[in-house]
Amino acid sequence: MYNFNYKKASSRDDAVAAQSSADDGSYLAGGMTLIPTLKQRLAQPSDLIDLADVGDLAGISDDGGAITIGAMTTHATVAESEVVTSKIPALAALAGHIGDPQVRNRGTIGGSIANNDPAADYPAGCVGLNATIITNKRELPAEDFFTDLFETALEEGELVTAVSFPIPDKAAYAKFPNPASRYAIVGVMVAQTGGETRAAVTGASQSGVFRAADIEAALGSGLDAAAAKEVKVSADNLNADIHASAEYRAHLISIMASRAAAAAG
Amino acid sequence: MEMSGEYRIEASREKVWDALNDPEILKQAIPGCEEIDRLSDTEMTAKVVAKVGPVKASFTGEVTLSDLDPPNSYRISGEGKGGAAGFAKGGANVQLEADGGATVLKYDVDATVGGKLAQLGARLIDGTAKKMANDFFSNFAEIVSEGPAAEAEAAPAAEAAPAATPTTGLATGPKIDTGTWIVGLIVAAVVVLALIGG
Repeated sequence: MYNFNYKKASSRDDAVAAQSSADDGSYLAGGMTLIPTLKQRLAQPSDLIDLADVGDLAGISDDGGAITIGAMTTHATVAESEVVTSKIPALAALAGHIGDPQVRNRGTIGGSIANNDPAADYPAGCVGLNATIITNKRELPAEDFFTDLFETALEEGELVTAVSFPIPDKAAYAKFPNPASRYAIVGVMVAQTGGETRAAVTGASQSGVFRAADIEAALGSGLDAAAAKEVKVSADNLNADIHASAEYRAHLISIMASRAAAAAG
Repeated sequence: MEMSGEYRIEASREKVWDALNDPEILKQAIPGCEEIDRLSDTEMTAKVVAKVGPVKASFTGEVTLSDLDPPNSYRISGEGKGGAAGFAKGGANVQLEADGGATVLKYDVDATVGGKLAQLGARLIDGTAKKMANDFFSNFAEIVSEGPAAEAEAAPAAEAAPAATPTTGLATGPKIDTGTWIVGLIVAAVVVLALIGG
């Protein structure tokens, strides 16, 4: 690890001010990706601005038609939340299967989506459930937030403050995890909200999360699991590695979508 | 890792060739490139700051050219070192083809990653390398079609009197070409990117 200045922010404004006055400041949320990166000496920020003490960034609220989750809320908190488990059980289940218990007790929703790892679970949850990402400057739909591999619409210094999930009529997340890391080899969130059917896929594409239009068409308004299973997904631009070829991932997209649709029922 | 691709650049082969031999243009086109040093006609180094997700690392890629058949094709090989973390090396066969007023560049890359890198980062290598290549080509195409757009009016005159154009000489020599830089970049990028895999 290289040396850096450590600053524990006391409020959102304090954090944003510290970031903008630093040469090359980085926000620290749960640190599940950033800290290992620093330990490998693969990044050298001048300042780390720790968000742990910014109290109003964590917490879950039920706004009637939607659930808003603060950026610093951990995966374990989301998984165990009564509000989430009763209103959007698919999201609670997704959070409960991220990484291992250590990761779930440190990692946060804001950190996960700001990082936009192409195999992370939350991007699929956000896009599939048509969430709104709230930052210190604006609100934008999840589909516009995730732009490419490890890239988001966040500007320099912009801070994710919360994510708002509309409560779906039906939803389920199915993941084929890497057995070691629990990252998604392929994960699909299938959701139906106000008559719209969505299937958001993570883990498969080289550009990160995406909506599978042909799967969505096959699922239709009835979430037809059998029809989704029959869809032949193209392997173009899908990831290939020692765990799974692009063709295998393409196959898994149909299977996971079908399983999610059956579970959402 | 294996990867191949094809890019169409809306400029004549001569114009592309010249631009590819202009270190300033390459420096602008390679994402995060800070320095390019040409050691000889067939060897160079590039210093690149790669930023992908949380990773921001500075590294040096070394590239050499072989099997030169100017201006049609060549073999390029590169090596990137990530210190104790491991290494990546590889090569590519690159072809330049004229297509009407445009140029089509085709490449075939094979690379191997070893050491700790290979253990940690396999899942991200392909995607990241492709993304870097895409970023490079879109930047490059923009610069080539824009920069020379200012010159475009003058270009016909220059073609009529080639001897007056100082860059013409470059087009005929066995110079280092796009693929070189890209592969060097990709290979070096692989080193860095492989590390994020954990």
